[in-house]
Amino acid sequence: MQLTFPHRETWLHQVNPTLKIVLFSLWFLAVILIHNFNVMLNVAIGSLLLLPWSGHPWKRLLLYATPFLLVFVSTSTGMMFFGKGETDWFRWGLVNITEESFYRGLHLGFRALSMAAVGLLFGLTTRPVRLFYSLMQQGRLAPKYAYSFLAALRLVPIIIDEFQTLRHALKIRGMRKRGWFIGFYQLVHRYAIPLLAQSIRRAHRIAVAMEAKGFAGRAKRTYYYSIGFSYRDIVFVTYTLAVFGVAFLAGTYWPYLDIIDVR
Amino acid sequence: MMSAPEMATSVSNLRLKFSGEDALLFKGVSLAFRKGEKVLLLGPSGCGKSTFLQVLSGLIPGSIEVPMIADDIVIPERWGYVFQDPDTQFCMPYVDEELAFVLENMQISREEMPTLIRRYLDQVGLNLQGSHVLIQTLSQGMKQRLAIASVLAMAPDVLFLDEPTALLDNQGTEQIWATIRSIAQDKTLIVVEHKIEGVLDLFDRIVVFSPEGAVIADGAPLQIFPQYRTELKEYGIWYPGVWEDYIEHKTPRVLKDDRIASVRSEPLLEMNGFRGKRGDASVIEIEEATVKPGQWIGIIGDNGAGKSSLLLSIMRLIKTEGICKVNGLQLNRVEQAAEHIAFVFQNPEFQFVTHSVRNEIEYSLLIEGISPAIRQAKSDELIEGLHLQAVASSHPYQLSMGQKRRLSVASAMIRGQQVLLLDEPTFGLDARNTFSLLEKLEQLRSEGTSILMVTHDSRIVEHFCTEQWHIVDGRLTDAINLSP
Repeated sequence: MQLTFPHRETWLHQVNPTLKIVLFSLWFLAVILIHNFNVMLNVAIGSLLLLPWSGHPWKRLLLYATPFLLVFVSTSTGMMFFGKGETDWFRWGLVNITEESFYRGLHLGFRALSMAAVGLLFGLTTRPVRLFYSLMQQGRLAPKYAYSFLAALRLVPIIIDEFQTLRHALKIRGMRKRGWFIGFYQLVHRYAIPLLAQSIRRAHRIAVAMEAKGFAGRAKRTYYYSIGFSYRDIVFVTYTLAVFGVAFLAGTYWPYLDIIDVR
Repeated sequence: MMSAPEMATSVSNLRLKFSGEDALLFKGVSLAFRKGEKVLLLGPSGCGKSTFLQVLSGLIPGSIEVPMIADDIVIPERWGYVFQDPDTQFCMPYVDEELAFVLENMQISREEMPTLIRRYLDQVGLNLQGSHVLIQTLSQGMKQRLAIASVLAMAPDVLFLDEPTALLDNQGTEQIWATIRSIAQDKTLIVVEHKIEGVLDLFDRIVVFSPEGAVIADGAPLQIFPQYRTELKEYGIWYPGVWEDYIEHKTPRVLKDDRIASVRSEPLLEMNGFRGKRGDASVIEIEEATVKPGQWIGIIGDNGAGKSSLLLSIMRLIKTEGICKVNGLQLNRVEQAAEHIAFVFQNPEFQFVTHSVRNEIEYSLLIEGISPAIRQAKSDELIEGLHLQAVASSHPYQLSMGQKRRLSVASAMIRGQQVLLLDEPTFGLDARNTFSLLEKLEQLRSEGTSILMVTHDSRIVEHFCTEQWHIVDGRLTDAINLSP
């Protein structure tokens, strides 16, 4: 079981992970606060323009993005079909598309798309090991939390393998047919207990092994990877500021549509 | 003038108790180990050998909270500890990062790390393409050597090894001992191990523990062995010559000679152009093979050759193509296959679906709706046959390793299937439990069950199986009849 796929390293991989997580969080916040449709559209384009630097081939990127595209479609159509508005475009039973609800739906869709692109980029261009090393070095995260997270990540593929084995074993042993609700409860019970029992034991053993290797959880230690800042961080900050700056200016002075507030 | 030999580590009058248990595990154990001494600790499972190592290293009570007292305890200044399970010793994803983790703990500067990492990997004979390799792609034996390398990074004087080869196959075991021999010359070595064939010359002292955790023997290997052979046998230790002893004392019934008598002519399991697939790739291919009632097939082959995939294919747990019939019946679904074929997984815990040994045995009968009286009678009989009466109401997870394996065989077999598939059932078991499980299987075989068993142990094949299948690169290359 392998969770990492081969990919190209780009300048986004080299951006300081702490800076990246901080800026992307601010990006999320900012996107929530945008109510001007034109600005939102520009920001969404700005987010999508970063995707070529994910380092992953387009096909895989699309595959990863499918859940997000689904979110885009469902949020926007949900809003479009059932939202309130003055100018009726189309009415059929419960469905009532108005001009206002249509653009509000699109606005929400672009908001979701922008967040998805940014989140995906963060996930694809940040190795957990680098993120935690950076959080320890720049973010003053206590090593005991950082290494605990990393150790936990190691358990994930093992748990997936075990889940597979357990599925096989339960198939062979056969399942009693019960009602839907009890059946579901039993199912959870049957998977959760063995997987948890194994994982807890394993986690405990790993913890002891880490301490046996001299890990004390104190802050004083050296680092195999020294993670600092480079010109790429300036590029990244500039790009982010530029996206919002340009989006705001262009949205205000050269709007695509005459919608200033979708609320 | 003679000076007293320098001690590496020692403990005197150690008393220790696990919570929830009534008796003390150690009642005043005192042992001292000289610098440079190579010591082997022997004893039955559960006698506290591993606990003792953890006390000497200070892991108890430092990292694992267990109430203990000792009059005096000397913990070595620099020590390293290698654990049993290759999958629970690392916290980082890559080989170099794992070694760096230890170096970081030692506060060694970043510039020195790459050189040191290469040096330690060389010392344990891990020749990888560069050191930035995913740990999960290594074999279990390689992982264990990485564990030794990361211990070397601590520059230890004393090495504690807690059954380092228990979960390894023969090849991995040999590699580990070769590695230990090459690195341990100037170090104190304190080892707990069950499989001790071929490594006894490494040690100059053996300490034998009783089941109650008392020291019953302490001395040179040559002196201990002849004297304590009975105890070692009873404790299930894989001492040199254990197989010879077993065969000598076994009633000839189990041995090959009269096996053929019970083999009937009609094949029970037939495979023809049978292929098991993962995705689109074929992982195992059997052109033609048959298994008759009362045959015991030992399936051997390298790691990743497709042995386990063969079992999964027969059980229809992975996609298959071609013909595989049981009793002339082509099976297509898992549920169908499960009626005729029993499957025992390597880790018995995944098979347990209930909260007590009795329920576990009755489980499959419950689904089929057999009356309570018959169910009770049948499970009583099985529980007795497995010597599990004392733990019949315990949770399956609370059993010992040997008991778990026996229970998993029994609960898999309860529907009276004619074919039994086993994936390395004796893996990690001590000698006593291995023989007891093999005898149980032999009994099933003599009653007409066909057994297909994946194993790494050539002596099990030699002494118990009637036929050996060799799997090479996903193909059954040759089937050798072992019946005379």
